[in-house]
Amino acid sequence: MSMKAELKTADKQRSQAGQAAVWQARLIMLVMINIAQLWILAATVDAVLARHYSVLIPLVVGSGVCFLITLSIIRWWRPTSRKKTSSGYVRDDYR
Amino acid sequence: MSDLTKTINRVLSDESDVQRATAPYQADFPYERDEEAQVTRREFCNFLGLTSAALFIGAGGFAAKAALDARKSESFVAAPIDGAEALAPNSSMNFNYPAAGDSAILVRTSDGTYHAYGQKCTHLSCPVYYSRDHQRLECPCHEGAFDVASGNVLYGPPPRALDAIEIEVRSGQVWAVGRRASTDEHES
Repeated sequence: MSMKAELKTADKQRSQAGQAAVWQARLIMLVMINIAQLWILAATVDAVLARHYSVLIPLVVGSGVCFLITLSIIRWWRPTSRKKTSSGYVRDDYR
Repeated sequence: MSDLTKTINRVLSDESDVQRATAPYQADFPYERDEEAQVTRREFCNFLGLTSAALFIGAGGFAAKAALDARKSESFVAAPIDGAEALAPNSSMNFNYPAAGDSAILVRTSDGTYHAYGQKCTHLSCPVYYSRDHQRLECPCHEGAFDVASGNVLYGPPPRALDAIEIEVRSGQVWAVGRRASTDEHES
């Protein structure tokens, strides 16, 4: 195998490992946010039963912020090797 | 019999023929059964996104319902509590007030006075009961207890006193005339 081909293969392996890490990070963050939202929901139910209405708005806002972060992670987070073009996100390999 | 019918019958007669007949479609939809059962990372991400949306809607729904309930001014109609007069001291009975689905508990203490409360524990809405031995209202779910005279929390996880039901004795008959929700945390 030529030097150039070896470099290309190593580069591709690094890129794939990086993409896997990004995917793992996304999944871990999403799971953590879901757990936080579950806690917020439990706190909301507690507050409703205790008639502590003053804390309800902060709890709902907090849950909404968590949802927006989740949405941004799913919709807009992409591995760095994917670039945005006029036709969407594409890998470097295909450009 | 037309050629098409013959072909259909021939294809359906043998599983291998079916596979051969669907081979062109397999090229267009190359799904293996085992792979179909797997969940991809993208699908799992989308599932987490939907879960997040559901949790947000749930929290918002609870808060909205609580806000609506807080603004609603309830008017109560007085209702007699059947059988209250025959209640022995240091015992209790259940009744429904203000609506048929609102369970309440009437307690006659040892000195003969009546006290009535909504039966839902203020922690997680388990029904409370009157403990004769300890002369207090107890919640069996998470071991909370309430003072029978005031409804205040004695111990345990409940965050506030029981909802008090106002009662009056009219011509020897016990009437429920209103319901009052407490809001203070641990009023005891």
